[in-house]
Amino acid sequence: MKKKLKSMEPADNSAVLSDDPAAQEEADLLRAYEQEIFARSEKHHNGPLLLSARDVVVRFNLRGQELTAIRSTSLDVYEGETLAIVGESGSGKSVFTKTFIGMLDKNGRIDGGELFFHGEDMAKYTTEEQWLKVRGKKIAMVFQDPMTSLNPVRTIGEQIAEVIMWHFGKSHEEAKAETIELLKKVGIHDPEKRYKQYPGEFSGGMRQRVVIATAIACRPEILICDEPTTALDVTVQAQVLDLIKSLQKELKMSVVFITHDLGVVANIADWVAVMYAGKIVEYGTANEIFKSPEHPYTKALLRSLPQLGTKGHDLYSIQGTPPSLFKQITGDAFAPRNTDAMKIDFEEEPPVFPVTDTHWARTWLLSPQAESYRASLLARDAEQQKNAVPETPFDYTNAEKLITVRDLTVRFKMGGSTFKAVNGVSFDIFKGETLSLVGESGSGKTTIGRAIMRIYTGNVGGEVTFKGSKITGKLSRQDKKKLHMEMQMIFQDPMASLNERAKVDYIISEGLYNYHLYESEEDRVAKVENILTEVGLTSEFISRFPHEFSGGQRQRIGIARSLVMNPDFLVADEPISALDVSIRAQVINLLNKMKKERSLTYLFIAHDLSAVRFISDRIAVIHKGHLVELAPCEELFAHPLHPYTKALLSAVPYPDPDSERNKVLIPYDPAMHDYSSDKPVWTEITPGHFIYGNTKELEGYRREAEA
Amino acid sequence: MNLPENKLRTLQKSLEKDPALFTPAAFSLAESEKTGASNYSYWKSTLRTFFRSKSVVVLCAVVAAILVMSFLYPLFSSVDPTKVSINPLDWNHRPSLEHPFGTDGLGRDIFARAWYGCRNSFILAFCIALSDVGIGMIMGALWGYNKKLDPIMIEIYNIMTNVPSTVYLVLLAYIMNTSYLTLFISMASRGWIVEARFFRNRILSIRDAEYNIASQCLGTPMRRIATRNIIPHIISLIIMEAALCIPYSIGSEVFLGFVGVGMPVDAITLGNMVNHGRASFTLHPYQMLLPAAVLCIITIAFYFLGNKFADASDPRNHV
Repeated sequence: MKKKLKSMEPADNSAVLSDDPAAQEEADLLRAYEQEIFARSEKHHNGPLLLSARDVVVRFNLRGQELTAIRSTSLDVYEGETLAIVGESGSGKSVFTKTFIGMLDKNGRIDGGELFFHGEDMAKYTTEEQWLKVRGKKIAMVFQDPMTSLNPVRTIGEQIAEVIMWHFGKSHEEAKAETIELLKKVGIHDPEKRYKQYPGEFSGGMRQRVVIATAIACRPEILICDEPTTALDVTVQAQVLDLIKSLQKELKMSVVFITHDLGVVANIADWVAVMYAGKIVEYGTANEIFKSPEHPYTKALLRSLPQLGTKGHDLYSIQGTPPSLFKQITGDAFAPRNTDAMKIDFEEEPPVFPVTDTHWARTWLLSPQAESYRASLLARDAEQQKNAVPETPFDYTNAEKLITVRDLTVRFKMGGSTFKAVNGVSFDIFKGETLSLVGESGSGKTTIGRAIMRIYTGNVGGEVTFKGSKITGKLSRQDKKKLHMEMQMIFQDPMASLNERAKVDYIISEGLYNYHLYESEEDRVAKVENILTEVGLTSEFISRFPHEFSGGQRQRIGIARSLVMNPDFLVADEPISALDVSIRAQVINLLNKMKKERSLTYLFIAHDLSAVRFISDRIAVIHKGHLVELAPCEELFAHPLHPYTKALLSAVPYPDPDSERNKVLIPYDPAMHDYSSDKPVWTEITPGHFIYGNTKELEGYRREAEA
Repeated sequence: MNLPENKLRTLQKSLEKDPALFTPAAFSLAESEKTGASNYSYWKSTLRTFFRSKSVVVLCAVVAAILVMSFLYPLFSSVDPTKVSINPLDWNHRPSLEHPFGTDGLGRDIFARAWYGCRNSFILAFCIALSDVGIGMIMGALWGYNKKLDPIMIEIYNIMTNVPSTVYLVLLAYIMNTSYLTLFISMASRGWIVEARFFRNRILSIRDAEYNIASQCLGTPMRRIATRNIIPHIISLIIMEAALCIPYSIGSEVFLGFVGVGMPVDAITLGNMVNHGRASFTLHPYQMLLPAAVLCIITIAFYFLGNKFADASDPRNHV
C-alpha cells in the first residue's frame, strides 16, 4: 500500500493545473491522508487486497462535448467478500466497474488514476490482448439483461462449453461434463436435457442462472454483477440472490454487486459503497451504512424508503433531480438537493472524513467545525420521527362502488391458439380508495388496467361498470368522451410514454385539444402552467422537448397530462418502478397529494410490495391471470392466507441487513393445487377478505383465518 | 495516523475553513431540479452526423450539380438535342470542346442529349418515388393499424414480389403503348407494396409504444395521432426510402429502354441513349460509355446518400 502511494500521480486536474507549490503540496498531502483512511479498513477484511482503484477519472466524448463520468474515485476490493455499489442511474456505478474489465464504450476513456490488480496497473492497458488476460478469466461480469450475453441461436450448453474450451484448452467431452456440473451448481434441474436447449426455452430467472454459470466457468477471482436481478420478479430475484451468495462462499470469489435497490444491498452485501454523481460518497460495512449513515445523500436515501414511512403522512423525499453528466459540479454534488446543506458544500469539494476504521464519508458535516450544526440536525430528525401517527384506515362501511369488474377475461391470440391473459377476474373499486394490483410480470395486471381503460376492446369478456353504467363493449361517441374525461392512466416507463417529437406544451394539452376544454388560447396555456406548478415543475419548461428532462421529471409531466383532464379515476400502471430511488418518494407523495386534493380513486398496479403497503388501502394479488387474494392492506401483510401471497411477502427485500440475513423464503409451487375435480372459486372468506380456492382449500384458509 | 506530526498539522490547517461557511445555506427548488441537459436536437444531430463524412459532402455537391445541369441546361445552352445533321461529317464525332461527349450516328450532340435525358429520367423517377413512398406509407399505415388487413395484404405482397420484376415490367410495357405514362404505371403499380410492408413494420413497432396508448386514453383522433405521433417519428425513413427509390426507378427505366420496350425511339431518356450507343459500341464506345457513366454517378450517389442518411437518422449513431 505504502509503496504505491509514492508513485501516485495526481489525477485531479485542479491539482495538476495549480502553479502554486504550496497548493500542490496541500493537494498531495490530502491525497496521502485519503489513502491512509482507505487503508485503515484493511485489517477488518477477511482476505487480502485484490483490486485497488485509485483516483480513477473516466471521461466521455459526446457530440463534441467532454463529459466526466467518474470524478476521481477510489475503491478497494478484498478477497472473498461481497461489496455492493449503490447508486442511481447516471451515478457512474456501471461505468466505474466496466473500467475493471476494459469494457468502456468506444467514446469513453480512463483519463487518470490507477487500477492495480495483481501488481499491474490496468489503467495503462492499451491493447485488447492485455485485457483478454483479465476479462472473463480473472474478472467476470454478469449484466442486467441475460439476453444481451446469450446467443439466441446456439444451445446454452455449447455456449458455456466454448468458454471452458477456449480458456482452459479442454476437449469437447471434458468441457461438456464440466458444463453440466456448472449448470447443476447454479440450480438448473435436469442439466443433461437443458444443455441442449436454446436461451429462448428458458425463463428470465433461469437465463440469468445460465449467464452466472458462464461467468463462473473460468473460476474468476472477482465477479461483477451489474443489476443482475433488476429485471426479475421478486420471488425469482430472491432465489438468484441466494445463488450468488452461496456461489461466493463456495468458490471464495469476491463479488462486486451493483444495484439501486437498498433492500437487495441489505440482503447480499458485506461492504457498501454509495455512489453519487460519479464519486463514492460513503463507504462502510453494511450495518454501518444502514444503521448509522453519515453522508446526507445516504441518509436521505434510507429515510425516503416507503418501508419507513408512516401511512397518511408525506414520505420523506429528496428534492430535485439527480445531476446528469452535463451538469457542472462544484463542491458537494448533492448540495443543491440537500435542504440542510451548508454554505461550504457549494464552495468546496468535501474531503474524506473517517467515522470508524471501516467507515468513511465525503461530507463537510463530519468536519469538527460542523459539529454543533450536525448535532442540531440529528436532534431535529429524531424529533420528527417520533411525532408521526399513522392515519386511520379507509372506512368501507359507507363506501360507494365506483367501478365493478365482473368475470373479466382478456384473450390474446398467440400463433394459432388463444391465451387468456386475464381469466375470470371480479372485484370492486370504491370511491376514494387506492386499490393495488400486485403480481409478477406476465400475471395480467397491466392487462386488467388496460381493459378497464378500454385500450383492449375486441378481446374482452365479462363486464365492467363505471358509476353504475356498463363500459365494456360498444359505446356511443358521447359516452366515450365522458369516459376519457373521467378515467385516465399513468404509465410505467417515462422514457416511452412521452412523444419525443412534441413539446411539453402539446403533450399536456393533448387532452384539452381533443375535447376543446378551454375557452381561449390564454386559458389553455394557463391551465398547462397551473398543472405544471402543481406537479412541482416550473412553467418555463413548457417550451421544452421531453429529452431535456430526467426520468422523474418526465413521469411528473405524464401525471400532469392525465390530471389536466380532471379525472375521477386513475389507473397508475407501475408509475414508480422505472424511477430512480431518490425520486420515487417524490412521485408517491405527489400521487397521494393529488388524491387528497382532487378526491381521486386509484387503481395502482405494481410489483413492489413495499411501496404498495405505503400507498394502498386494499391489495389484490394476481397470479397467472387469476386473482388469488384480496384484502385490506394491513390485513394482507399480517394474515396472508394464499400460499402465493405468502411466498411473495417472504421474498420482498427489506432494507435492514439483520432481518435480510435471517430471511426464510417460502417457496410456491402451483402444482400444490389439485383443481381436477374440485373447481376453485373466488370467495369472500371473512368480511373484505377474498381468496381463490376450492372447497377443501377454503376450509383450510377459514380455519387459518380464525386461528 | 502514520503521517509525520508537522505534516499532520498542515493538513489539519488546510482542512480548516472559514467558520462562517459552516452555516445553513438557502435551499432553492429551481436549483435542485437542474439536471444539466444536453443541447441535443434530433434533426441537428442527424444533419451533423450526415455531413460529418467527407464523401457525403462531395456526393451531395455532385448530385446538386447534376440536378442543376439537368433542369437548367436549356438556359445555358442553345444546342438542340434533337437536331439531326444530314452532313456525314457531323456524325460520330469524338468528344471535343464543341461536343464534350461527341455526337451520335445522326450528328446529335450527346452532351446535350445526356442532360435532357437526365431531366426526363429524373422527372419520371421523382414521380415514381412520390407515388411509391406516398401510397406505400398510406397503405402501410392502414395495414399496420388494422389487423384484419393482414392476411389479404400479405397475400398481395407475396404474389407481387414473387413475380420477377423484369418479367412484370416487360409484359406491362409490351401490352400498353410505350409512353411515359406506361412506364410510370408499370413501375408504380408494383413499387408501393414493398414500401407498404416496410412502413407497416415500422408503424407496428411504434403503434404500441406507451405514448400512443396515452394518446388513445386521452381520446386523440386518428388523424392527429398520425400527424403528431407517427409521421414525425418516421419522417427520416420517408426521406431515406424516397432517396433510395430514385436510383431504382432510373435503373428500371434504363433497363426497359435497353431491352427495347422503354420509351418511344424519339424520346430522349438515358435508357434510350444507352440503347442507341450499344448498336455502335464496337466502333464508337464513348456513345454508350459516357451516358452510362452519368447514369452510374447518379445511381451510386443516390444509393450512397440514402444509406448514409439512414445511418445518420438512427439516434444510436448520434455520438
